[in-house]
Amino acid sequence: MVKVGVPRALSYYRYFPMWKTMLEGMGAQVVVSEPTGRVLLEEGVRHCLDDICVPVKLFFGHALSLKDKADAIFVSRVVSVEKGDSDTYTCPKLIGLPDMVKGSLDGLPPMLEFVMDVQNRSLKASVKSLAATLGVPPSSAKNAFESSLEVQARYESELLRGLAPGAAMSKVLPDGNGSRGSEEARDTSFHRDPLSIALVGHDYLVHDSFISHDLPSRLNKLGAKAVLMSEVPDSVIEKETARYPEISWSYEKELLGAASHFLGRPDIDGVMMVIGFACGPDSIIAEIIAREVRRPESPPLTTLVLDEHTGQAGVATRVEAFVELIRRSRNKR
Amino acid sequence: MRVSFPHMGNSYIPLSALLSNLGAEVVLPPRPTSRTIDLGALHAPEFVCLPFKVNLGDNLRALEMGADTLAMVSGMWACRFGYYGRVQHQILRDAGFTFDSILLGRDDLGSVFRKFRNTADGNLAAAWLRAFRVFRRKAAAVDAIEREARAKRPLERDRGATSNALEAGLSQVHRARDTREVDTSLAEGLEALRSVETDERDEPPLQVTVLGEIFAVLEPSLNFDIERTLGESGVATHPVLSVYRWLMRPLKMDLGITLDELRARRATRPYIAYVLGGEEHQTISGTINAARKGHDGVIHLYPFTCMPENICRTVLPRIEEEYGIPVLNICLDEHASPTGVSTRLEAFIDLMRQRRKSAGGRSTSLERSPG
Ligand code: SF4
Ligand code: SF4
Repeated sequence: MVKVGVPRALSYYRYFPMWKTMLEGMGAQVVVSEPTGRVLLEEGVRHCLDDICVPVKLFFGHALSLKDKADAIFVSRVVSVEKGDSDTYTCPKLIGLPDMVKGSLDGLPPMLEFVMDVQNRSLKASVKSLAATLGVPPSSAKNAFESSLEVQARYESELLRGLAPGAAMSKVLPDGNGSRGSEEARDTSFHRDPLSIALVGHDYLVHDSFISHDLPSRLNKLGAKAVLMSEVPDSVIEKETARYPEISWSYEKELLGAASHFLGRPDIDGVMMVIGFACGPDSIIAEIIAREVRRPESPPLTTLVLDEHTGQAGVATRVEAFVELIRRSRNKR
Repeated sequence: MRVSFPHMGNSYIPLSALLSNLGAEVVLPPRPTSRTIDLGALHAPEFVCLPFKVNLGDNLRALEMGADTLAMVSGMWACRFGYYGRVQHQILRDAGFTFDSILLGRDDLGSVFRKFRNTADGNLAAAWLRAFRVFRRKAAAVDAIEREARAKRPLERDRGATSNALEAGLSQVHRARDTREVDTSLAEGLEALRSVETDERDEPPLQVTVLGEIFAVLEPSLNFDIERTLGESGVATHPVLSVYRWLMRPLKMDLGITLDELRARRATRPYIAYVLGGEEHQTISGTINAARKGHDGVIHLYPFTCMPENICRTVLPRIEEEYGIPVLNICLDEHASPTGVSTRLEAFIDLMRQRRKSAGGRSTSLERSPG
């Protein structure tokens, strides 16, 4: 059985249930890289240019860690994710990811490229070419594809219920996300004055607990419930973004829509934008959120920048200070 | 209307002509300097790419000089550049400036057209037509003069003579009021450049292709005037991008440019399979072409954290190897030091000389063994 390695990074957080079901349906065995650790991150950094965003460095580290564990490495090329009339796409680095991997990483097993470009190509066509590479007959590819969409839909509805990716994966995949579950308890009932703090940032940053220094559970321990943007339905995002000039980066549009939604919600006590150092789109959208979306009556908004050098203490201080600020301003009211 | 726009190389010459022929008064900030960059960086988000900061600095200086309208292209590009104007203008408003915005995008050409209703002389459409003709003529004139200077500089006898003639020629073109005057100033400018005295050399100058992110290639304040530095060290430079191309490309009026873009995309596909929204196709195909033409090297310029060029940067080593052409990558940010860059340039020039010598005179890449 061919062993396909899936790096636990970037679009993994969004699409792994679909990919896994699809690959297994085609007779492959799926191996996921271990959760990020120091060595893995350092490997990634070493093989990457300095000024590339930390999530891509993480991806490189995860891909390299699978070197001797898989016969092929699954690398997605996520180009466009929104059907519709306007021109939208993801980030250049998600579009060029396989090219970067090919250019920078030597000695990897062969790459299995999977294209998601819904504006120009049906997913079915991408699945077909994946099946052809794996030598799988079209009929079993078709079944695999159908069940992968089903699992993905269930995954997304778990996310909408507020589960974090890891927990949602454990629910919809027979053997979970393939790792020890480091799921944050999100029960803040023990706290006498619980807060709700919304996290606005790419899932591959917020939910990589090594790089985010356990951000969601850290908030939790401080008596603040982390409200995730994956629980904001698309329809709400659409409605919110319609209030601003157009953004063509689909994922940044989500950040904008979620921020706008949370900043207008009375039950949200604060919004934390989580951005990656050297992230191109974030540098623009964070500015747009702070300047176009925030209103005088909005709850406090802060930005947490994460990179490979941010220490645990740095994040802890920032988070504690933010929670403190919210508590104090609440007491005044 | 006192209108201003950010600098990019000599684009101010055709752009000023366009706006003043529409009856606007053009407020031209001084060419960007380190003060401009510092000023911009002070107000810009920390992680945004360098051209944003320079543009913002230009805008701030223009506002100091009394501009009441700021113009910027917007929304036409996939990259961060498409949002520059929107975010910059908001930053400036938040900083307390009041001004009118002209954001030139594909969607709203009509409103830009009508902005000049009250300033243009006579019929608005006729004014646009006249303005556009001068604009285009000037863009072509600037291009021709720059080319001539580029060819001349590495051979000049007196260091700086070419650059002086270039400056004089460009300012003549800038001052020209109509297409006839543009033509005369172009002819005079070219003539002055041709009469710059040259030295006999034992061997032809090193030939270097310059490519990368467009501001980094075209704006001397970003790249420490690399074209001049190289030229005065006896190296002939061939940028793959130009102001003329940048201005004419979206208009799709120059068939040569449109075809070249298509060819570049095609050549890039094996290395970068999808469009990234920057100049990646010109970077990749430019490097391949440099090798095919037998150039001695390629200089790849890009701003710190530039997304499309960073991807190119990871792909270029493969092309370097496959085609046997050395590439020097220079990453620019507001902290880049001029001495650091010039040391690297000198080392690169040495390397190219060495290669040429060991290849036994001028060779083409095809004769060289890869690697
Ligand atoms: S969106 Fe930002 S963090 Fe994500 S891949 Fe692109 S540059 Fe990196
Ligand atoms: S191409 Fe590079 S410099 Fe230009 S907007 Fe994009 S990231 Fe910034």
